[in-house]
Amino acid sequence: MGQAKETWKKTLLIVAMLAPALLITIGIVIYPIINTVINSFVDAETGAPTLRYYTYLFTDELARDHIVYTLWIAVLTVAISMILAYLLALYLRFSDTKISKTIGTLYLLPRFIPNLVTIYAVMTIVRDSGLINRIFMAFGVNFKPGLLFNSKGVIMMNVIFNIPFATMIIVAALSGISESIVESARDVGASRFRVFFQMILPLSFKDVMIAMVFIFMSNISSFTTPYLIGRNHPLLLGVYLRKTFANREYNLAAAISVVIFLFSAVSAFVYLYTNLKEKDWESRAPQ
Amino acid sequence: MSSLSFLGPRHMARTLGRRKFWEVVLLVGFLLVFYGPLLYTLVLAFAGQYTYPDILPKTWSLQWWKYVLKQPALIKSMVYSFEFAICSVLLSLAVCLPAAYVLARYKFTGRRLIMFTFLIGNAFPKIGMYTSMGIIYYKVGLMGTFLGVLLVHMLGSMMQMIWLPAGAFRSVPVQQEEAARDAGAGPLRTFFYVTLPMAWPGIAVACMFAFIGSLGESVGTLMVGLPTYRTMMVEMYGVILDYPATAGAVFSILLIMPNLLLILVMRKYIGADTISKGYKMG
Repeated sequence: MGQAKETWKKTLLIVAMLAPALLITIGIVIYPIINTVINSFVDAETGAPTLRYYTYLFTDELARDHIVYTLWIAVLTVAISMILAYLLALYLRFSDTKISKTIGTLYLLPRFIPNLVTIYAVMTIVRDSGLINRIFMAFGVNFKPGLLFNSKGVIMMNVIFNIPFATMIIVAALSGISESIVESARDVGASRFRVFFQMILPLSFKDVMIAMVFIFMSNISSFTTPYLIGRNHPLLLGVYLRKTFANREYNLAAAISVVIFLFSAVSAFVYLYTNLKEKDWESRAPQ
Repeated sequence: MSSLSFLGPRHMARTLGRRKFWEVVLLVGFLLVFYGPLLYTLVLAFAGQYTYPDILPKTWSLQWWKYVLKQPALIKSMVYSFEFAICSVLLSLAVCLPAAYVLARYKFTGRRLIMFTFLIGNAFPKIGMYTSMGIIYYKVGLMGTFLGVLLVHMLGSMMQMIWLPAGAFRSVPVQQEEAARDAGAGPLRTFFYVTLPMAWPGIAVACMFAFIGSLGESVGTLMVGLPTYRTMMVEMYGVILDYPATAGAVFSILLIMPNLLLILVMRKYIGADTISKGYKMG
């Protein structure tokens, strides 16, 4: 009898403590997502079920341009960031000098600089009358980097933003590979390339994939960079979405959101899976 | 030419050794890309007379600081930014700490589903989430309201405010709490005098991330806060597009300063580990 009362009290306590956070989350996350999915299948004028917004997105030439362009920018960003980040991570992991330690502490700090500030700072350097141009002018060369308001600039900015994150994930993966294994392989006569392609790369493959998936997701939906330094056509999906939303075409905006959600499905799964792993949660929980 | 040859790559490579030479090249390249632009922002912010094509300003001055601080819209935006940051951190704390404690201490049916619910808002791209919230805002009249913007900022902070403190609570030994209870302390007293002091660093780091996240929130506020709630980040879009470059530099420094101060205050608790956690959560 007393035991049952205790259980009741505990249940009530758990419910009461979870309720506020849970209600807000349902209100600002779960309900909006469901509402968006439903809206994307409903005709704005008639209220009847329709596929017209999706048909429009994938068959209208302008809309399709936005999607193809977005995928293209994201893929290029992922490829360039990953190559540079892997090289940086290899260096940070396998060399033990003052310089590598310095870079090792400095590369994570840019996270604390707001994106807009970084974009602005880079703009003042690379725009056609910016610092780079001025330095060239001092040597009598009127060199214009031409990195603003086109795809090159957007990719450059994306790469700058993504390298620290990618490097961090790869460094963590590489720290699991012991130096003695690498050294013994080298002793047996394996070339650097062989050690890399047959040992290091396979061992870090999973984390490389995870990093790629996350970078892909963040670039599929990027807004600020392309809004400020991207071109006018085609648009990246994030900018296109904001434009549609500002024009109050909510059902089309809902459909674009769903497309963005679908493009991010893999990364969402990885994110949920890794954070829900009970292993971390069980170790110290009582009972 | 010969007098400057010590600056040439060949000579440097010889004196430093090839490996060392490339390391220095890497370091310089790294600093130029990741810190160079910010350094130049600093130069711009204190520029006086600065005409094209000079590399550095001819004179230095505070004129752009005065200019920025005289713009009522920009001053107002600072007030909004801090209001939202403080309110969203406090509200997230109040709502999320109990949830974090329960998730850390109790096992119950549906626990995973609840964790899943808390995580899902962060699993998908933010801009899609803001659009989804905005569509509802139009229906219920939250567009352009304080509460509407506040909820957008909460979307960014709640997950961290649950996950990081939950980790902190789990690291407090249960025995410690039980001992306090055995000694006759009530549950609230135990929480405030035993659990909270031990879990404090983790909670403080979560607050810091939430605060920085709220100050840095731009897209969501731009989408649902206009025309009234133009925070510093929203103003920054306009500053980049419409203001003189030197004024933008001053405003940039104003945007970075709170973050730098917070990191300075919190440096004891921030390791590479916490930063990486913050990365993954964000």
